[in-house]
Amino acid sequence: MDCHNEECSRPQEEEDIMDIPLDDPEANRAAAKIQAGFRGHMTRKKLKPEDKTEGEEVSITGDVFNRSVV
Amino acid sequence: MAPKKDAKAPAKKAEPAPAPAPAPAPEPAPAPAAPAVDLSAIKAFGLFDRVGDNKVAYNQIADIMRALGQNPTNKEVTKLLGNPSADDMASKRVEFEGFLPMLQAIINSPNKAGFEDYVEGLRVFDKEGNGTVMGAELRIVLSTLGEKMTEAEIDALMTGQEDENGCVNYEAFVKHIMSV
Repeated sequence: MDCHNEECSRPQEEEDIMDIPLDDPEANRAAAKIQAGFRGHMTRKKLKPEDKTEGEEVSITGDVFNRSVV
Repeated sequence: MAPKKDAKAPAKKAEPAPAPAPAPAPEPAPAPAAPAVDLSAIKAFGLFDRVGDNKVAYNQIADIMRALGQNPTNKEVTKLLGNPSADDMASKRVEFEGFLPMLQAIINSPNKAGFEDYVEGLRVFDKEGNGTVMGAELRIVLSTLGEKMTEAEIDALMTGQEDENGCVNYEAFVKHIMSV
């Protein structure tokens, strides 16, 4: 059932989850690479304005502590 | 560090022996014979040291590498750290000399993803083959596959990326990602 060519705002979570290959190692590996790229980008983006403001609390490291990287 | 006092020789008429001063060596010497990445690596490392012991926590390593332009997976970093427990990740610390080889390993990693890899990875979810993926679907993928991202992370990532139909042009998206 193709419900994607109209509004894209409906959640449709259950149907999409069935479409998503949760157990496929290839898909997971691809996803992990993409996520790694995204995380790299976001970390660098967060750090950019901090660079200019010396002496301020560097919140990025605060974030890091709070987030458990497992 | 306070330099040790020289042990003064008892008053003798012999020539004043030059007391061998202990080398003060107050600053940590950067790793020898290493590429230019070292200077920014040292700076980034110092930035993340919140304790002041010239070390950083295991769970900060991935972010320092990201700050230095790398995109390691959390799994790669955990492996380099010797697969520590979650406890160790939070409590153990490493000095720069221990960090640098890990950074080098990531820099020299053979399977680093480039623009095409990201685009192709996202193309898998391009159901209509029109260069776009649904923002909602991408969000679900990011939160359920691979190294799951939190809602907050995904929100931060996707801000301003979806068009009025909630769709994402993933080539433009990847270009944006790679620009920082």
